[in-house]
Amino acid sequence: MLLPTVLAADFLQVRPGLIAWTLLTFVLVALVLRWKAWGPILSLVEEREKQIASAIESAKRERAEAEKLLADQKTAIAEARRDAAEMMRKNQQDVEKYREELMAKSRKEAEEFKAQARREIEDQKAKAIAEVRGLAVDLAIEAAGKLISERMDDAKHRALAEQFVKGLPAGGAPSTRA
Amino acid sequence: MRKAMVLFAGLFASSVLAASPPAEGEKEDVPAYILHHVADSPEIEIEIPGSYEHIAIHLPQILIPLKEGACAPQMTDHGETHPGLLAGCLDLSITKHTVMMFLAALLLVGSLLIWSNRDKSKLVPRGVGANLFEMLVVFVRDELAVKNIGKEEAPRYTPYLLTVFFFILFMNMLGLFPWMATATGNVAVTAALALCTFVLTQIAGIRAAGLGGYLAHLTGGVHWLLWPIMIPVEILGLFTKPFALTMRLFANMLAGHIVIFFLLGLIFMMGSAAVGIVAVPFAMGIYFLELFVAFVQAYVFTLLSALFIGMSVAMGHHHDHGHAEEHGHKEGGASHDHGKAHFVGS
Repeated sequence: MLLPTVLAADFLQVRPGLIAWTLLTFVLVALVLRWKAWGPILSLVEEREKQIASAIESAKRERAEAEKLLADQKTAIAEARRDAAEMMRKNQQDVEKYREELMAKSRKEAEEFKAQARREIEDQKAKAIAEVRGLAVDLAIEAAGKLISERMDDAKHRALAEQFVKGLPAGGAPSTRA
Repeated sequence: MRKAMVLFAGLFASSVLAASPPAEGEKEDVPAYILHHVADSPEIEIEIPGSYEHIAIHLPQILIPLKEGACAPQMTDHGETHPGLLAGCLDLSITKHTVMMFLAALLLVGSLLIWSNRDKSKLVPRGVGANLFEMLVVFVRDELAVKNIGKEEAPRYTPYLLTVFFFILFMNMLGLFPWMATATGNVAVTAALALCTFVLTQIAGIRAAGLGGYLAHLTGGVHWLLWPIMIPVEILGLFTKPFALTMRLFANMLAGHIVIFFLLGLIFMMGSAAVGIVAVPFAMGIYFLELFVAFVQAYVFTLLSALFIGMSVAMGHHHDHGHAEEHGHKEGGASHDHGKAHFVGS
């Protein structure tokens, strides 16, 4: 009883009018939404995607850049440290060398000074010896004159005394003997 | 299709019950009531809760005679009827389902105009509505359009797919509100939507492969002696796709509603309020299932539309590599379709 009515039921009828209305509505809705909704929403979404992608891209790039900079800085610091060490080493070397030089110079000067002092001493000594010798000749003549008293003329005595003095050893011999 | 089985089982059971004479006068003819409610009608009946009254809104009848005097009403045993389109009368009457479709369209356009993110300077949507719509839009674009059509061609067809998805979704959902009806539970509506997909699919095919390539594809790429067999098969294949789209959406939406009605109708058929203890939670469960199905069916219709368009678009790309490969692609697509249909049906 029901089955025929089911088969003949209204819901299995395809009404061309409704198809036409549906097509019309659908096309209108599609046009309005395409114009007012899909365009803006999709462009917005695309814009956002683009921005996010570019943001990620730039973040990556900046990160890489920062890493490169960091690496550069690190190498620069290491280089500076190495330079400083090098400089210090060199300075130390210089100072050492300078000290050596200074020492050598002062030693040389001291040597020279000593040699000059010795030379002067020698001179003074030779001079003193000569003086002492002259004095000794005078003393000897005076003593011999007093001893012999007037038996010889002055010229004879003098020649004798000088002969005697010549017989004395020259230079510093008196100091070594005395 | 479990739902269809439930539908038919329900209809058989109801026919048995309806056949038995009513014991009490207040028992109602439940199957007739259900069929009346899911079917299209020229008036909208709004039941008033707590009474037997209802407000009936009669909708305008628009008959456009294509021939002189073709729309003259005829008296038959069903009452006054009008001749069909074949007799030369175009019936553009507004019916319940037409109104529901208009309403869904208005709601869709209105809500999208309100919630499409209109502040161009802000790239991030604000609020639940705008976020929800954008999420669905992005889903349809990425998961349906781009995956099935390909990245280059997808933007061309995305607006159509979006419109189909939201239009069907709104019509499906509208039927879940009290006093409303499901326009997608009408074959004419789903047929019209499938027709749009069909036309667009053919246009996509012609665009991608050229008219020659499109026609060549209809021959199936076999020896010309086999063309008399192949061309009808291919043309039949063309039409089964929109037919499947039509019937799947229509049957799913109709069946769900009939099941809900029938579960609640059990209370009146049994004549006991105690049945409601079982029937109402069941009906509620089916109602939630319907809510899910409203989304799933919109998704499936859109997915299959995208798939068909994708196949047509691929027609152009694969043309140089010969027909065998193309055919393989097509069959792959068809099996994909079958898998989805199975998933939805079970």
